[in-house]
Amino acid sequence: MTMATVVGVRRTRVTAASLRLAFLQFIADPQWLVPSMIAPVIFGLVSYELFRGAGPYFLTYAILGAGMMSMWGQTLYGSGWATGQDREFGTLEPTIQAPAPYLYVVLGRIVWNVVAGLFGGLIVYVVVVVAAGGPPALPNPLAFVLLFLFVMVTLACVGIVFAAAYVYTRFAGFIQNIGEFAFYVGTGCMFPVVLLPFWTNPIALLFPPTWALDALRYVSIPGYVGFGWGWGWDLVGAVATTAIYAGIAGTVFHRVERHVLEVGDLSDY
Amino acid sequence: MSDSPAIEVRDLVRVFESRKGFLFNEVNRTQALKGVDLTVEPGEIFGLLGPNGAGKTTLVKILSTLLLPTSGTARVLGHDVARDADWLRPRIGLVLGGERGVYTRISGRENLRYFADLYGVPPGEREPRIQAVLERVDLASAADRRVEEYSRGMKQKLHIARGILHRPSILFLDEPTIGLDPKSARETRKLVRSLEGDGVTILLTTHYMFEAEELCPRLAVLSKGRIVANDTVDALRHRVGGDRTIEVEAYGFEDREHAALRALPGVSKVASEEFGPRVRLTLRIRTLETTPAHVAALLPGHPELSVRERRTSLEDVYLDLVEEEAT
Repeated sequence: MTMATVVGVRRTRVTAASLRLAFLQFIADPQWLVPSMIAPVIFGLVSYELFRGAGPYFLTYAILGAGMMSMWGQTLYGSGWATGQDREFGTLEPTIQAPAPYLYVVLGRIVWNVVAGLFGGLIVYVVVVVAAGGPPALPNPLAFVLLFLFVMVTLACVGIVFAAAYVYTRFAGFIQNIGEFAFYVGTGCMFPVVLLPFWTNPIALLFPPTWALDALRYVSIPGYVGFGWGWGWDLVGAVATTAIYAGIAGTVFHRVERHVLEVGDLSDY
Repeated sequence: MSDSPAIEVRDLVRVFESRKGFLFNEVNRTQALKGVDLTVEPGEIFGLLGPNGAGKTTLVKILSTLLLPTSGTARVLGHDVARDADWLRPRIGLVLGGERGVYTRISGRENLRYFADLYGVPPGEREPRIQAVLERVDLASAADRRVEEYSRGMKQKLHIARGILHRPSILFLDEPTIGLDPKSARETRKLVRSLEGDGVTILLTTHYMFEAEELCPRLAVLSKGRIVANDTVDALRHRVGGDRTIEVEAYGFEDREHAALRALPGVSKVASEEFGPRVRLTLRIRTLETTPAHVAALLPGHPELSVRERRTSLEDVYLDLVEEEAT
């Protein structure tokens, strides 16, 4: 095996170990069932009642809004929060001290959170479909699935940056809690961003999920206007901002690890 | 491995900054290490003693690549801790101990599986090696229980198991027996001694003098961020005034009696301590000439006079050194 292959195997193993730990922590702590599974189902049913009769695609609106809530909570919030827990449990020090890049530890958690988020989204889908008595009308199911997965990737990229903040400072949880619902609403998880005041739009476009969600709505809901530039440009914007976030995540993690070794507050929480 | 020392620290300084105020514009600086020099040879168990806040944990964290020095150099296994952290980390074991630092909602075995993967223990060796370390720290029977059900001593054993799982060349043990009951503490010391047989270099910090004396042929005393002594226990005894100590207790002593005791041959130091109505004089003695009988002969007429001789303990040495530094 070449050195690069060895490093690749090591990174894959670290990611897999972290994913496994995240799964074990999840099943050991049922509190996550509420934000990732139960709350989205309730929101989904409420949305269904609100949008009922609003057109042929109301069901898609309801499922997308509630499903995204589950994804968002798991992928974005859960990954950063797990790092905050590492601080609280005192496990951040031994994890950083281990010869494994912390970025891949976070990546493992995000992969688990994506899986859990998808599961949550699936539950929302099943419950709302049962309540509605049939599946939603989807003009292009393949594009829907692909874009849905892409939305997850965009959320994961933002999640990595958020996790870096948790390594950087013990106050990251405070900051994230302030921005939690602003981000959820601002990126169009619950309903399209264009419904918000215009001044919020440029801020929303700084986040990859805003673009990806807009594209997802374009392909799912015929007649959807969104930002008005079509799903193709949405996709370009999503790919570009995701690439920027991925780049930021790699750089930020390296610098954050250096910073915490300079400051020496890894055991503070 | 080369002939270079396992640990080589030169003029190491570490300053912590904390910010306060509404705009975090008030900066407090604390110098935790003030020019530390230290050398530890390969394969030895080296003790690091010091009161709370002396800088022991800071030094351990720098040496284990968890903290960067402000200035000075620290080399472990011949490599600079700031520049070569990636090379060093697989070769270092760190046991910070305490209630925190382990995942409490999963089992001890799962904790070890996770860290075995992070440390790159070969996949085929992972399970047998985990079982072996669990047996070595006497935790095998509780390995599949959640860590939150563990006692303090069991958690400490799990910390140690994690620290040795990847077979490090050097192990940092930060107060490994603090808070343990006597039986668990004794088992931990036995385990540490057995690691010496494996050729592992160990840096042990502790508050317990008997522990340092039992385990560490050489040790250093860190006080207020400085190394105030660094030698063998016997040499340190000599440095603080002799390896013989005579303790005299009575209901007070006169100044002329103090002076007479100080004038005895070989007496290097006389310390006085009051406890209740009684006063204890501690005489540090360098030679064999002065005996308890000589001392008693200088103190006639004291009711309930008590004179006894003992070997100068490491605790005496430590307290003398810390007191010396404080004054």
